[in-house]
Amino acid sequence: MIRTSSLRNGSFIERSLLAAVSFIKEATLFEEYASRQGFMQGLAPGIKILTIFLLILTAVILKDLALIGLLYGLCLALALFSEIPITFFLLRTLIFIPLFSLFIAIPAIFSSVSPGQVLRQIHIFGITGMITSQGCQSAALLVARITTTVSLAVLVSLTTKHAELLKSLRHFGVPQIFVMTVSMCYRYLYLFAVMVENICGAIKSRVGIVIPHKRGQKFVAWNIANIWSRTNQMSEEVYRAMLSRGYTGEPRSLQRIKKNE
Amino acid sequence: MNNNIFELNNVHLSYLGRHPALCGVDMTIGSGEKIAIIGANGTGKSTLLHLLDGLVFPHQGQVKAFGQVLNEEFLRDEENSRAFRRKVGLVLQNADIQLFCPTVREDIAFGPLHLGFEQDEVQQRLKRASASLGVEHLLDRVPYQLSVGEKRKVAIASVLAIEPEVIILDEPTAGLDPATIRQVIDLILEANQRGKTIIMATHDLHLVEAVADKVYVFSQEKKIVRSGAMEEILYDMTFLQEHNLIHAHNHQHHHQVHSHPHQHFGHRHE
Repeated sequence: MIRTSSLRNGSFIERSLLAAVSFIKEATLFEEYASRQGFMQGLAPGIKILTIFLLILTAVILKDLALIGLLYGLCLALALFSEIPITFFLLRTLIFIPLFSLFIAIPAIFSSVSPGQVLRQIHIFGITGMITSQGCQSAALLVARITTTVSLAVLVSLTTKHAELLKSLRHFGVPQIFVMTVSMCYRYLYLFAVMVENICGAIKSRVGIVIPHKRGQKFVAWNIANIWSRTNQMSEEVYRAMLSRGYTGEPRSLQRIKKNE
Repeated sequence: MNNNIFELNNVHLSYLGRHPALCGVDMTIGSGEKIAIIGANGTGKSTLLHLLDGLVFPHQGQVKAFGQVLNEEFLRDEENSRAFRRKVGLVLQNADIQLFCPTVREDIAFGPLHLGFEQDEVQQRLKRASASLGVEHLLDRVPYQLSVGEKRKVAIASVLAIEPEVIILDEPTAGLDPATIRQVIDLILEANQRGKTIIMATHDLHLVEAVADKVYVFSQEKKIVRSGAMEEILYDMTFLQEHNLIHAHNHQHHHQVHSHPHQHFGHRHE
């Protein structure tokens, strides 16, 4: 695989760029699970989003850890019925949890944030902290809420095609111009990811894998300017293409008569 | 009765006021004609097509479309703009620019929808255009996931759905495989038989031979250097070679080097 080898062998800048490009491409192209014939995939996108939104709201309101756990169990069951492998689903969701909860949940366990019955006293860098029972409970509640809401959000994004997901936002009063702009951004993000990947390949084919740091910086700076200029040019061309097909600044959307038509 | 669709009179156009793109172009295009615009890279072919589609405007000279002066003021009027865009459709060279919607279905329907057709009519046009290009199976696909050939077919379908009187095509066969090229040629000819005017810019002389009945040749000076019947221009080897449309081909026979113009159209290989 070209991508793998270049990720392993390239410089730090190249590795970072290609990793970002790879993430964008995966995020924009990954519709494998959305195309499967599972339970969630069979629901109309509007209903699906509304249901998930209500479930997320419930998870935020609930104060009972067991009930939130039940909601998380329901989310896992839905993933299972939607033909999403559980290990993949857990990896996809749980990877975000430490990031989100670390800086919020950990301070909450100490008495300075959550006063109450002291469970243990700890000393870090000469500072004494007291872990309280109430602190631990609120931290656990917070982590459980984050885990459940993130899982529900990931579930809906995995089981809905991006185009449908964006389109269904119209049902919730999101203006058509906003939906259209976001969907176009999404579509061209992929093109620019491919462009960046090609530029990296072109540089590598001419100057080799090892690029001196200073020269690498110049390449990056030059290509940022180059991509900026191409983006500008492309946006003008796309606007002309829209004008050519009758766009007058007022977006209209196609009504689907039958889903399977 | 004047049957002219486009009339260009001494048209000059430059980008940013200093990069000339067209320098004194005169041209008349009649209804139902099949026009090919040929010329080396950077001779102003694409600019001319954008001009005919009312996307750019001359700095000097005049463009008339359907008897009306085609300028910004004319197209600023919503009724004029809608009427003009219903009559003229442009297939761009870069399908990635043309296909900006989240799905193929929406891309094909974009034109009819924004030109004010009713939803039922839009659905009918979507059906007809996708069937004529054989892209029904791609309707729910995301455009950037398609192959080059599929993208090109969808781009053509997105213009055919408008059912315009004039179809303008910029390099319609670039990067396509032979079978798809044949399909595109048949489609253009079929559209012309139904009364559509065809205007295309291309480097593909096979396409010119198969489709066009009138050819305009652009030079590096960004103006028309010659125009005439397809046969008259296409079989003038010296002229084509002079304008970088065919190239000299060297090869060796028994230690002797031969040089001749290289072309494959017209079943002639001199």
